[in-house]
Amino acid sequence: MRAPDPAGLPAPPPDVAQTLVERLVERLLLAAIGVGVTLMLLGVALGIAAGDGLPDAVLPVSGLPQALTSWEPAAYLSLGLIMLMATPFVRVAGSLVVFALAHDRRYVLVTAAVLAVMCLSVLLGQV
Amino acid sequence: MVFAAIVALAVVAGLFGSMLGVGGGVIMVPVLAIGFGLPIKTAIATSMVCVIATSAMAQLSFVKRGMTNSRLGFLLVLASAAGAVLGGLTAVLVDGRVLQAAFAAVLLYVVWQMHRGSDAVAVERSGPLGAAYYDPTEGREISYGVRRTRLGFGLSIGSGNVAGLLGVGGGVFNVPIMSVLMGVPLKAAIATSNLMIGVTAATGAAIFYGRGYVDPSYAVPATLGILIGASFGPRLAACLPARVLSIAFQIVLAGFAVLMVVKAAGGAL
Repeated sequence: MRAPDPAGLPAPPPDVAQTLVERLVERLLLAAIGVGVTLMLLGVALGIAAGDGLPDAVLPVSGLPQALTSWEPAAYLSLGLIMLMATPFVRVAGSLVVFALAHDRRYVLVTAAVLAVMCLSVLLGQV
Repeated sequence: MVFAAIVALAVVAGLFGSMLGVGGGVIMVPVLAIGFGLPIKTAIATSMVCVIATSAMAQLSFVKRGMTNSRLGFLLVLASAAGAVLGGLTAVLVDGRVLQAAFAAVLLYVVWQMHRGSDAVAVERSGPLGAAYYDPTEGREISYGVRRTRLGFGLSIGSGNVAGLLGVGGGVFNVPIMSVLMGVPLKAAIATSNLMIGVTAATGAAIFYGRGYVDPSYAVPATLGILIGASFGPRLAACLPARVLSIAFQIVLAGFAVLMVVKAAGGAL
């Protein structure tokens, strides 16, 4: 029998946490890719319908809500690209939660540090 | 039509990028910059989005096959993500020719090491990072341990920096670091690299998006093509013999090294 950890719960074997990570990641990635592709295809269709082709610049995040309601192709293309660019963030954040549930403190710290560096890069991009 | 040409290019890049764990930036950046005349920073930004798409799509398949070593991936990605932040800023602020030449030399050394067959695998599963996966070509489960973790961590900082600088996913460095240096079987290294390149590219891509370098007229068709190609690459990687993958990887590395030498010497890109 496995020794209980300080919280009184048996520490799960590493493979259990790994499997949970994998299932969670699979579903989240699939959803993000699906939504991202749908938005991009919608943006392409809107661009073709407007007869202007595809725009050559993305919109800043702050301008997206208004542009989406105005059916601007650039808004849907930008949001689709952002959805896709968000998949690694979802991947890391999801893994952080699962490692935490598995009481795998070392990899909670590792994934938290990865997420912190990624968030730092977003802040740097806004400079 | 440019849209269709970009999609076709990206399908190829996604196929080989995911099959070898390099992300496809190796193909996308030079073709977009030279073939389509994109400004280099726009080509790099487009490539970064492509690398993220490759990673996301490939992970769906590799994770399901149990080939991705998530713990090892996150540990090394911590190093490469930190390097990517520095690399993303470097690309915006400075000329990286000297770094390119230095890494070209490193790549050629790696090719030589891989050619010598120094990717001998520790067959015993050991330590917290050890793992196992089923290899369909060998018809058995492959168990392995991971060695030289600290050295691999240090070198991953360098690989992340160059990834941010050049718009490649860093897989050209991740795979040999894991397979040649750390004793990870090539297929597991490729699968784990596919996890790492997405995170590494995301850190750089956020900077490029914020600064307006992402051009949807190229990034969107490229992304759509990448997703198609990257849905087939992992299946090929799983089914091809490791020796074939190794040779293909050496060719990519050598080609990439030559490209970096040309860029460093002439500044063609």
